[in-house]
Amino acid sequence: MPGGGRCPDCGSTELVEDSHYSQSQLVCSDCGCVVTEGVLTTTFSDEGNLREVTYSRSTGENEQVSRSQQRGLRRVRDLCRVLQLPSTFEDTAVAYYQQAYRHPGIRAARLQKKEVLVGCCVLITCRQHNWPLTMGTICALLYADLDVFSGTYMQIVKLLGLDVPSLCLADLVKTYCSSFKLFQASPSVPAKYVEDKEKMLSRTLQLVELADETWLVTGRHPLPVITAATFLAWQSLRPSERLRCSLARFCKLADVDLPCPASSRLQELLTVLLRMAEQLAWLQVLRLDKRSVVKHIGDLLQHRHTLVRKAFRDGTAELEGGEKELQGQGLGPGQGKAEAASSSLDLPEGKRPASPALLLPPCMLKPPKRICPPPPISTVTGDEDISDSEIEQYLRTPQEMRDFQKAQAARQAATGVPNPP
Amino acid sequence: QAQQQQAQQQAQQAQQQQQQAVAAVQQSTSQQAAPGASGQTPQLFHSQTLTTAPLPGTTPLYPSPMTPMTPITPATPASESSGIVPQLQNIVSTVNLGCKLDLKTIALRARNAEYNPKRFAAVIMRIREPRTTALIFSSGKMVCTGAKSEEQSRLAARKYARVVQKLGFPAKFLDFKIQNMVGSCDVKFPIRLEGLVLTHQQFSSYEPELFPGLIYRMIKPRIVLLIFVSGKVVLTGAKVRAEIYEAFENIYPILKGFRKTT
Repeated sequence: MPGGGRCPDCGSTELVEDSHYSQSQLVCSDCGCVVTEGVLTTTFSDEGNLREVTYSRSTGENEQVSRSQQRGLRRVRDLCRVLQLPSTFEDTAVAYYQQAYRHPGIRAARLQKKEVLVGCCVLITCRQHNWPLTMGTICALLYADLDVFSGTYMQIVKLLGLDVPSLCLADLVKTYCSSFKLFQASPSVPAKYVEDKEKMLSRTLQLVELADETWLVTGRHPLPVITAATFLAWQSLRPSERLRCSLARFCKLADVDLPCPASSRLQELLTVLLRMAEQLAWLQVLRLDKRSVVKHIGDLLQHRHTLVRKAFRDGTAELEGGEKELQGQGLGPGQGKAEAASSSLDLPEGKRPASPALLLPPCMLKPPKRICPPPPISTVTGDEDISDSEIEQYLRTPQEMRDFQKAQAARQAATGVPNPP
Repeated sequence: QAQQQQAQQQAQQAQQQQQQAVAAVQQSTSQQAAPGASGQTPQLFHSQTLTTAPLPGTTPLYPSPMTPMTPITPATPASESSGIVPQLQNIVSTVNLGCKLDLKTIALRARNAEYNPKRFAAVIMRIREPRTTALIFSSGKMVCTGAKSEEQSRLAARKYARVVQKLGFPAKFLDFKIQNMVGSCDVKFPIRLEGLVLTHQQFSSYEPELFPGLIYRMIKPRIVLLIFVSGKVVLTGAKVRAEIYEAFENIYPILKGFRKTT
């Protein structure tokens, strides 16, 4: 291409731009003489434009998957495999992890949080497919603190705008009960303690439904209720041999951890069953207690809907009605209603079923810990005068200051700590 | 006499405008008085009987009532409002004292101050009346917590500023602002939280494995409510008292819907 130059050898104007590898050269197309050569090395000022940029400011961060993210994605897949989840779950969980990683708050988070994020993604996937997986299980597998997990979980649900369904109780019962090692005899489990899985499952499900209906599940951790229900179901299927076995021993036999609240859930469930038993005439005469009622759980569960309706009166309507009565007659709500209930029945004293108890969550049935008096109506305007004497009560006298300084110096001398800046 | 009539008509017109404005505000179905050429008695908001008969020859627009217009009651009719007023439990406010402070001096010279720089970079000061706690930073900014009303928070902040003044600093009282208000109340019936999270899932978060209450994020007003199975409700995130009341009036019908009535 003619560019206005002449070959120094042959004088031709046919000069061509022909690069020799990366070096640009101007060559005469007639005689092959190299007219000019490009510079192989760059000067410092040239290099100023090519100076290195930090990774986080380059586009490389967005173009390729960082090592940390790769590690996280591997952990997600590993966790899914350990939990033996279907393969579709793996892809969903990985997608959530990648989605979360796009947010700068997550990208710059500590490694501990990224580790917990792995668990969060798997948990959300399981919840959306109604696969019963508790947060406790995930935290145990990741060796993570539930507090850290809860913070990250709430954050990620909000960040990704996800709709996570609640834990399905029935599925959790089935999974959890199946993990109890009581379905086959072994050196640690004698024959009298072995139980049929289907029978135990169905009875546990019924007991959990009963607990749900009588306000024992709302607001509480689901697992201890299921543990208590499983224990009662197991005991009631062969009460003669199993009544002597305690809840703690039962969990040890079954090789399952005993959650702390399970014992109080057990007591609450037994109280409900006792109230139901009082409605059955042939059980009322037996004067059952919390141990003997276990023998009759089968009967009670068979008629549970009727018994619950008879044994408990609607707590919510009661509270309203009771309050009005209190205002009108000066009677306590329980007192008034109990009299009404007993007078409506024809049975003589001693033979009539117990007057219905209030169907309320246990926290509403307990007496309040401390009675909070209504706060006095404040007439503060915010612009009142502040007296000097009131402020001076908060100032130290010179003597106090000297004492304080002496005490501080003595303490620092004793511990050898330098004064704080 | 024509002038009198004119003046009366003007007064009636002004009243008509006022009544129309009030009608627009009230939003409830109220009888709107229509000018009746037939001389029909229009319905008044406060249903006061006519005391002045229309003058012959004039079109009665709005007969003048004997007493001036009474203030109109709030928009929500009494039958719908809950009758429960949330109690304020905590107010957090900030104020700028407008000068740099030496926290060591404050900790030395004040009786009610606590300063542990290794734990937290501020002096923690407390006063007895109103019972509050303040965090005082070396930049001169201060956070006041624990008051039960906006006025109490302001008074407490002023007292802290006075203490700092008496300790020898040129403290001022700039940009006092209420940052957060927390209220609580009791609806007195149990609530099925599982049901509430199903029907209001876009606002609710209920994780019994983590926390026993349901977290409800209301959009208008922007308030977060903690709803418990016992019927107790905690409302937080408000900048003004009205937001708490409005949020509770919004949630109460929703909660009533979850009362089980057998």
